[in-house]
Amino acid sequence: MAERRPALELRAVGKTYPGTPPVVAVGDVSLEVSAGEIVTVVGPSGCGKSTVLHMIAGLLRPTTGEILVDGAPVGDRIPPRLGYMFQKDTVLPWYTVRQNAGLSLRYARTRRADAARRVDELLALGGLLKFGHLYPYQLSGGMRRRLALLMTLAAEPSVLLMDEPFGALYTHTKTRLHAELLTIFRRLNQTALFVTHDLSEAITLGDRVVVLSGPPSRVLLDQPVTLPRQRDVFTLRETDDFIGCFKKVWHVLGQEFRAGEPEHVEARPA
Amino acid sequence: MNDDACERVVVRAWQCAVVVVVLGVWEIGTRVPWLAQHTVLDPFFISRPSLIVARLGTWMTAHGQNSLWPHLAATLWATFLGFVVGVGTGFAAGLFLGQSRRVAAIARPFIVAVNSLPRIAMVPLITMFFGLGVTSKVVMAWFIVFFAVFFNTFKGALSIELDTLNFCRTLGGSERQITWTVRVPNALAWTFASLPMAVSFSLIGVVIAEFVGSSTGLGYIMVVSLSTLNATDMFVALVVLGAVGVLLVFLIERVERRLLHWTPEFQNRL
Repeated sequence: MAERRPALELRAVGKTYPGTPPVVAVGDVSLEVSAGEIVTVVGPSGCGKSTVLHMIAGLLRPTTGEILVDGAPVGDRIPPRLGYMFQKDTVLPWYTVRQNAGLSLRYARTRRADAARRVDELLALGGLLKFGHLYPYQLSGGMRRRLALLMTLAAEPSVLLMDEPFGALYTHTKTRLHAELLTIFRRLNQTALFVTHDLSEAITLGDRVVVLSGPPSRVLLDQPVTLPRQRDVFTLRETDDFIGCFKKVWHVLGQEFRAGEPEHVEARPA
Repeated sequence: MNDDACERVVVRAWQCAVVVVVLGVWEIGTRVPWLAQHTVLDPFFISRPSLIVARLGTWMTAHGQNSLWPHLAATLWATFLGFVVGVGTGFAAGLFLGQSRRVAAIARPFIVAVNSLPRIAMVPLITMFFGLGVTSKVVMAWFIVFFAVFFNTFKGALSIELDTLNFCRTLGGSERQITWTVRVPNALAWTFASLPMAVSFSLIGVVIAEFVGSSTGLGYIMVVSLSTLNATDMFVALVVLGAVGVLLVFLIERVERRLLHWTPEFQNRL
């Protein structure tokens, strides 16, 4: 049997913005995500996490290196089966929950009956079936995030990029969404690259946690998460395995945070 | 009766009291010879509520030359046309120029220059171009309405989040599909929000045009009253104009609320 290709592959990807002097945002990032795997990325703020996601999505062109989605190199266009969930609230306020959920199907000109059935499935999956007729302003923050997730899932992306999707939520909302996200992703065998600044979130969701350095960013650590794939997110953080993993990653990440805040270092008395 | 309802009743009662006092002083004061001679309460200049109501009644029941209705119809028709044409072109121009920041930058100085002309300065020129008929009135109304709607739509079209556009692109939307599902509804929301302003602007434009060159309309009645020094006629025209203005804005606000039902601001408004 031939070896399976990774769903997403970054080969020595770098991004330099022109200027005097040129700004090296992303130094050298190599990364592989297998099908069905959830890889989480953490790093200090400004480490180029969003830049990496934009390059994978074809919204930015890397200066060096190569990116492959489903084995096909990414050019100037968005890869056809790539999903991208943004940190900002991107649901369309003038459409109902149903219309939003089915937006990608509308774009793909799916037959009406098929689209309706698919939207029903999606809304059931995200627990929004009862709210199909509502408008986004009538939803809570957590529900809007779920809707945005369903919108990306409707297109059946082979790789889903997520840029701090739950950054603006309360811890309790966030934790509930983590539980749902894991359930949904396992069921769909969804491949995802999930960027966050929250290490607990990264370990909770990830099969692997990747630590990026401050700019110019490179991979400092690629840590497999030694927790069962079926997890109870509500008790997970009490377990020794979680704490062990947290320590291992924090050992690297904490040093990076220290290095990345020069103004604080200078402010400290000698 | 709860506090809210109670408060509303009190407010209404005070409003009625203000109207009664003003009308009472006006009616009675103009009947006192000394006041009429030595103060502003001279019926020659400010007429009298009972005279105004009587004249309004006469005009409403009269036929032919002295009837109010043809004049009211002329003003309303021109206002409607100016409103429709102004909103339509303002929306189209705002959407088009708001699509691209470069086009917006090129057009900006011209728009600011034309917009900074006092509107009234254009009346003689417009009358010279378009004659004394309905066309002049509509063009004048359009000239005011267009810019109000245009600036609102333009601002709205530029305000759209890049993340929202990119999100829809990753959902598989072509630029054309994104125009119809994102740019147009977003711009329309801003256009709708400017409708109450647009309709009062249209009425203003029409009346100004009627002052200068016209043989019909409420503005024409006022100019004729001025040349015959007839205060009662003048006030009848003012009262009708005021009523029309209030009614139009009220109607348009209802339409607006209907069209923008998906925005939260409208749920809590009175």
